[in-house]
Amino acid sequence: MQRIYIFKRFERFWHWSQAMLIMFMMLTGFEIHGTYTWFGFQRAVAYHTSAAWVLITLWIFAIFWHFTTGEWKQYKPTMEKAAAVLRYYLTGIFTNAPHPFRQSTLTKHNPLQRLAYLFVKLVINPLIWLTGLLYLFYGSWSSWGLSWLSLEWIAMGHVIGAFLMLIFFIAHVYLATVGHTPTAHIKAMVTGWEEID
Amino acid sequence: MTNQRTIIGALIALATGLTILGVAHAAAEPALSAASTKTINDAAPKPTSSTADHTKFEVLQAEFKSGPEVTKACLTCHTEAAKQVHLSKHWTWEYKNPDTGQVLGKKHVINNFCTAVASNEDHCSACHIGYGWADDKFDFTVQENVDCLVCHDTTGAYKKLPGLAGHPNYETMEWPPKSGRLRPPTDLKKVAQNVGQTSRKTCGACHFRGGGGDAVKHGDLDSSLETPQRYLDVHMDADGLDFACSKCHVTDAHEVPGSRYAPTTTDTNGAQMRGSKKIRNPVTCQACHGSAPHGKADAKLNDHTKKIACQTCHIPAYARGPRHAKMSWDWSTAGKLDEHGTRIKTRNSIGKVEYDSNKGHFTYDRYVIPEYQWFNGKVKYTLFGDQIDASNVVKINEFLGGPEDPDARIWPVRVFRGKQMYDKGLNTLAVLHTAGNDDTAYWKNYDWDKALAAGMKAVGAEYSGSMGFVATEMSWPITHMVAPKEDALKCEQCHAKGGRLAGIDGAYIPARDRIVAMDMAGFSLALLALISVLVHGAMRIFVSSKNKD
Amino acid sequence: MLKILAGFFSGVALIAILGWNTAGGFMMTEHESPFGVEETAARIQANIQALADHGWKLSGLRSPSVSVAAAGTNVPPVLLVEACSTKYSAPLLAEDATRILSILMPCTITVYKKEDGKTYVGTMNAGLMGKMFGAKVSGIMDQVAKDQKAFLSFDPNKPAPALIKTRPGGGKGSGGQELSGC
Repeated sequence: MQRIYIFKRFERFWHWSQAMLIMFMMLTGFEIHGTYTWFGFQRAVAYHTSAAWVLITLWIFAIFWHFTTGEWKQYKPTMEKAAAVLRYYLTGIFTNAPHPFRQSTLTKHNPLQRLAYLFVKLVINPLIWLTGLLYLFYGSWSSWGLSWLSLEWIAMGHVIGAFLMLIFFIAHVYLATVGHTPTAHIKAMVTGWEEID
Repeated sequence: MTNQRTIIGALIALATGLTILGVAHAAAEPALSAASTKTINDAAPKPTSSTADHTKFEVLQAEFKSGPEVTKACLTCHTEAAKQVHLSKHWTWEYKNPDTGQVLGKKHVINNFCTAVASNEDHCSACHIGYGWADDKFDFTVQENVDCLVCHDTTGAYKKLPGLAGHPNYETMEWPPKSGRLRPPTDLKKVAQNVGQTSRKTCGACHFRGGGGDAVKHGDLDSSLETPQRYLDVHMDADGLDFACSKCHVTDAHEVPGSRYAPTTTDTNGAQMRGSKKIRNPVTCQACHGSAPHGKADAKLNDHTKKIACQTCHIPAYARGPRHAKMSWDWSTAGKLDEHGTRIKTRNSIGKVEYDSNKGHFTYDRYVIPEYQWFNGKVKYTLFGDQIDASNVVKINEFLGGPEDPDARIWPVRVFRGKQMYDKGLNTLAVLHTAGNDDTAYWKNYDWDKALAAGMKAVGAEYSGSMGFVATEMSWPITHMVAPKEDALKCEQCHAKGGRLAGIDGAYIPARDRIVAMDMAGFSLALLALISVLVHGAMRIFVSSKNKD
Repeated sequence: MLKILAGFFSGVALIAILGWNTAGGFMMTEHESPFGVEETAARIQANIQALADHGWKLSGLRSPSVSVAAAGTNVPPVLLVEACSTKYSAPLLAEDATRILSILMPCTITVYKKEDGKTYVGTMNAGLMGKMFGAKVSGIMDQVAKDQKAFLSFDPNKPAPALIKTRPGGGKGSGGQELSGC
């Protein structure tokens, strides 16, 4: 067993604060959508909006960090071993087969993770941010020449983004438990140190 | 024991000390305040804001015998006033809608209250700003027929009574009829010498009592607005801003803006600056508040002004004062008499007339939640002669506009429902001769055919001889009784399923609207993901426990 | 074992929370009325007076919404119909142990309007309340509950009776338009 330092301090801070914010925004967001009543519409909107601005700020720092540290390369898609990893999760994991992917500081994520995170960063997040900001700035549409937009479409786009995020969230939380012990990955995300064979 | 005494002694000492201090303070205070409030302004009595004291006018020292005599006196100084009034809707009771070409105004429209003016002028003209409109022969060009006093009285002693063709009583008269109470002759000299600006009371004399009584017609205008508390109307609050009607209905040359016949339902301008040459309706909320009146903390509310009238949120209900608004009027049950053949009047729990042989059945309500609809300011009336579909509810006036219309906003509306007379042969709403001392008046003889024949004759038509009752609706925009801001609608009152705007089409309202199929798909996929990971997890636990064995 | 205990206690906690949340619902009942606020109140008053042989007397009519309005806030109309029956109150007031139940006197029925525009009537669940104070009180309160039910049965064929504006305490009202507040 070997310990390698994979997740830097900012990265961990970014991950966990983003996790909290996303959960909170799903909670308030689905209330705004009318799925349930908890905070009350007015407060749900206020909280959702404030959380959005915090998350946007966090994202600006994160993007800056990704590019200055070159960490963005971690998300470059690769199909190498992707099928093998998929096969591992579908069968190998039940037969104690070894994980086909070996983590390192340069390649933190297995090919499936890369694809999934890239999908989050290139599809889900832009969809949510774009529709969310348009939703928020509904009052400025006419001055921006966007009067042709329909609030319903924008809201529906935002809700689609939310559903995709919810599904990602479920899968992500579960897959966090598939390390060599159920808490291994989670510990690594907290301390930064991953234990590898 | 000694301890207790010590405590009691200490308490007595403390109480005495406090009392002495208090007395000393109280004694010192009046001296102090008397000294501080004495200023130069107190020396002289405050002058009135008016520059004319009408009690000093020689022309007003006469013993006036009639209203027109007073008007003649007024016109000696206010030379142009009657000419201005002659052009106003208050005088002509006529308005030609430039959009639809329909000729409207009280003189022409049929409503679902007392239904029509024609043939009933001597009663209806109690709310006409003129003297002598008793029938269709009234001369609208005579200057001294203008009634200055009904709007400019400040004494409260001036009252035009139905049946006198717009005159107040000049002789002692029993009023209300059969009440046994005598109303002394109107002191015209006193009223004339005490004229002043219009007030909620003078405007309210007609506008709070339209339709034949207090709180009958508008719903958002009743006598509780004479001295309203803050909760009822934040602008007219008698102890607060104390707005007169004319504060918003800024009048120029006796033409009062803010007519319901062609209302301004939306105004995207900012607040109107003094001296601005822009021609716009001064009565709108936006004329003072602009179209983005909410502060930074509530900025999201400003977005709502694209679709929603200010009134929708800021008038959460109408008839919020102590008065009950009349809500419906069913003429079809009128005419029932008791065994002696005399008029029946029954009253409801709060003493309001529930049934009257003259008029049929009424219902009332207080704190009424308005109905909501798109409205762009264009109104289409069903006038006399217009063909109706008597199997459906006839809309006396229809508020036009829809979600795609840039001038339309969601407005709170009072819908007054009724059943009223129509001519089956002509297939049009009927004109009824209600009041009068002649043999044909309905309130005299309860004979529909005679009364309808007389009424229809007054508008130049011939009654077919066959009548029926048709359900009608009349819409009134709600715009008065503006609540204090903390009582405006809360987000949740519309942003919910089954909320205030449940019936509004064409607007996406978060928390009210969703695409059900999309929600089903989204939650199903999420559930599927959850089940998948749970099954996967269960299999892992199962396998690992088996491996341990 | 520990798990069983934990499960048991969490179950108890859950029931306690549920009970806490619904207790209000047990203690009070809400009915929809087919009439307006004033007419509903007037009909309840008439029903109360019809049970005069059970000792019932109107003891007041209040409107807390009037007080709230006077303080500057809009709330939909609320009328509190107050009634008292010495037949039921005397035995309760006679004994030290039950005298505290005077806090429930006079018997109050509330009539109010909701956002849906409909009129609702709210009553205390006198029967259940009585059960908490032993057999004697329970017996009296069951009678009260029965009478209360009669107060709320309306005959729509009867014309609307006039609302009786009695001052709290039972005296005749001043006759003014406004009602006394709370």
